[in-house]
Amino acid sequence: MPSKILSFNRGLFVQNLRSVGWIGIVHFLLWFAAIPLQLLMAYSQQKDGGIYPEWESLYSISAPFQSMIVFTLPVLLAAFLFRYMQGKPSSDFMHSLPVQRAELFCQQVVFGVMLIVIPIVLISLLTVVCRYGLSLSVPLTISDIIRWMWETAIMELFVFAAGVFVGMMTGMSTLQVVFTYILFLFPAGITILLLANTSFLLIGFPAGYYLSKNLETIVPFFRYLNLEAEPLAAGESLIYLLFIMLFLIFAIWLYQKRHSEAATQALAFPVLRPIFKYGVAFCTMLVGGFYFGVTQNQFSWIVFGYVTFSFIGFFIAEMIIEKTWRVFHKWKGYTYFAAAMVVIGILVHLDITGYEKRLPVLEDIRQVYFGSSVYDFVENGERSYVPFEQENQFLKEKENIRAVYAFHQQLVKDQPRSFPSEAQRQVVIGYVFKNGKRMIRQYGVPSEPYFSYYQPILESKEYKKNYYLLLRDQGYSPIRQVAFRHPETSEKTLTIIEPQQIDSFIEALKADLMEEPASAMLDSSKVWQGDIELLQSDGDTILLAWKETYTHVEKWLKDHHLLTKARGNAE
Amino acid sequence: MIHLTNVTKTFDRFQAIRGVSMTVQKGRIYGLLGSNGAGKTTLLKMMAGIIRPDHGTVLIDGEEVWENPKIKRRIMFLPDHVYFFPQTTIEQMAAFYESIYPSFHRERFTRLQEIFLLDPRKKIHQFSKGMQRQAAFWLAFSTMPDVLVMDEPLDGLDAVVRQKVKNIIVQEVAEREMTVVISSHNLREMEDLCDCIGILHEGEMLFEKELDAMKTDIHKIQVAFRNGIPKQFAEQLNIVYKEQRGSVLLLIVRGEKQEIVSYIKPFQPLIFDILPLTLEEIFIYEMGDVGYAIENIIV
Repeated sequence: MPSKILSFNRGLFVQNLRSVGWIGIVHFLLWFAAIPLQLLMAYSQQKDGGIYPEWESLYSISAPFQSMIVFTLPVLLAAFLFRYMQGKPSSDFMHSLPVQRAELFCQQVVFGVMLIVIPIVLISLLTVVCRYGLSLSVPLTISDIIRWMWETAIMELFVFAAGVFVGMMTGMSTLQVVFTYILFLFPAGITILLLANTSFLLIGFPAGYYLSKNLETIVPFFRYLNLEAEPLAAGESLIYLLFIMLFLIFAIWLYQKRHSEAATQALAFPVLRPIFKYGVAFCTMLVGGFYFGVTQNQFSWIVFGYVTFSFIGFFIAEMIIEKTWRVFHKWKGYTYFAAAMVVIGILVHLDITGYEKRLPVLEDIRQVYFGSSVYDFVENGERSYVPFEQENQFLKEKENIRAVYAFHQQLVKDQPRSFPSEAQRQVVIGYVFKNGKRMIRQYGVPSEPYFSYYQPILESKEYKKNYYLLLRDQGYSPIRQVAFRHPETSEKTLTIIEPQQIDSFIEALKADLMEEPASAMLDSSKVWQGDIELLQSDGDTILLAWKETYTHVEKWLKDHHLLTKARGNAE
Repeated sequence: MIHLTNVTKTFDRFQAIRGVSMTVQKGRIYGLLGSNGAGKTTLLKMMAGIIRPDHGTVLIDGEEVWENPKIKRRIMFLPDHVYFFPQTTIEQMAAFYESIYPSFHRERFTRLQEIFLLDPRKKIHQFSKGMQRQAAFWLAFSTMPDVLVMDEPLDGLDAVVRQKVKNIIVQEVAEREMTVVISSHNLREMEDLCDCIGILHEGEMLFEKELDAMKTDIHKIQVAFRNGIPKQFAEQLNIVYKEQRGSVLLLIVRGEKQEIVSYIKPFQPLIFDILPLTLEEIFIYEMGDVGYAIENIIV
């Protein structure tokens, strides 16, 4: 009976107006202060000839304040609208009324949607009036305002729907608010924790590779802050709408299953209790491992983190469920958890999938990826800038493939435990196979013992040619000017502008770069005696370190009697 | 009218109601008795459609109460702690009830003001506890329910108001055949009001009886015989309790008075008295072993 469900109940409406109507007013006033008031203030500034704020969209008017409204008010609204479920007397009262739960739910949700949408629409209208009525000279158009209205409404409704959904699972308003925020952070948080912890346990696991950049788009808060730069795409709007629908559908479904005696209980459904308890223990365990993994870099500390944090998390969860701190007699549940974790730990340690030992078949490799970062291994990834030195490269030549493979073989044999540490170098080895599949590993190793593996790769022509922008074919525009800078003061010591001189100098520099030994490429700091700045005809500059190993450059300078000048020594 | 069949309800691991069946006829006043924690409130909330039983059915006029607005429109539930929306007046609550319950009767609401003597424009939360309860009665009676379910409704009311409320209930039942279920832990209070009594103990219905039938159904008999008690004397009697004081035999016997008299007469007793029992006595004898457990409700 959908007509029944959607039927409007005047009594409930009036009651809602009386008890939560104020949230609508507060909502309106907050938005008024955030946008139209700012426009009015700008108007009076403009009249007095004051400095004019440069607003490119409605978001830039008061972004932090706006995000605060979007992420607090709808949560509060959800908590207040469904407050009746969370108290025993009010829950009994409301559920004794001759109103079906679905109807009651719809009544509350529709009311909530009104309190969200109406103020936003009103504010949009007011903004239009201010913008055009006062003829403000800001670059805000009607479509900017409509976009803001649409995106703000979607975001607020999303937050509200999530709050309502969470409210069905708990019997306490405070927890409803807390859990709503946790829900927003959970998907991103658990991803980071799982990846980071896996990288502590599995040697060679490249956590950073899987921590893709779109992770922040799944945290609604970050997505909102980014709206100014990047509007909601149609598909994204659709996803948000879908989530709003799903939240509400699940909420209504849960509501109908929910017992009215769930009021005042931390978790409204008994099935949620073990999930919550062990879930919290698991997450805090990962947090503990993450913390000690990052700060201590030692396996024993990581285990210490797992044990202490999971213990604390387990009993905190138990305290929340039981609503008392005297829960330590329930240690049995923790032993089950600990046992399960030990089993999982052993399985990971034994590497049952053979992850750590896996080596591809040499013949299957089409190209290898070698470098110190995982980010350039991305498929079809377009680089936003061109570095002067490209450490991370795809290599296709047989010899290089073999050299990288040999390095990987050694690493698989050594199994160096990778921890972020300054004394270590990250080695990232990736494969693209002939069938299109990919594989990537990341290790943290000290560079010295592995130097013999680095050398053939770094000194190979293929690698070198891609390493330096200057060596790349058509990598740069013609050079107009060459300048030397002092290593300490950064002052220009020598400038070459004669085109013929420039050409011969560049030839000498290229020869030096091609002959540069791997040891200098791995550690450039020791052999650095200044900067070489190459100004291209398109206005961009290429910066290079002037290393002591550059004999051709030195000879060129000597030949032109410019060496002492270039070094910045007074003649 | 109200029909519960094999109803159970468990809270967490605590089984509050264990397979209760009960029936309340239309136009009756049913007293649900039990000590604290017996499960009275749970049972009443099931009848009001607030709590859904784990198993079993709660029917009113043959229809499930849970999530059934059609039935719930005809029920009023008065909880032990009455609830009103925060910061409302009786007037506002009445307007709310009017919009929710089609049977709400404005005139009756106005008329009842003379009885309850409360200011309908004052915020209910400023009232004392007893006055709040009166306000709840006022509103409940104004909706003219077919079924009135009340959880310990007379607690905290003074004797005058108590009588007023009782009068209204009796009147409503007589005039419109309203069905009433009342819970209490006090038998005396129920004695003059209820037609029917059910005793709930640790989630089980120990006993369910009509009061009139109960009184005519059990008798105290004193008999004495010239030559001692005849051998077959006790055989045909349904004896609940037996005590011998000298030559006088004291019996509590179940059965029709007339039948008992006509059975005993042929033995030609020297003394033969048949006396009615007080309600308290009936309970103590009827309940037998479990009687001790519910002593506190018979004070």
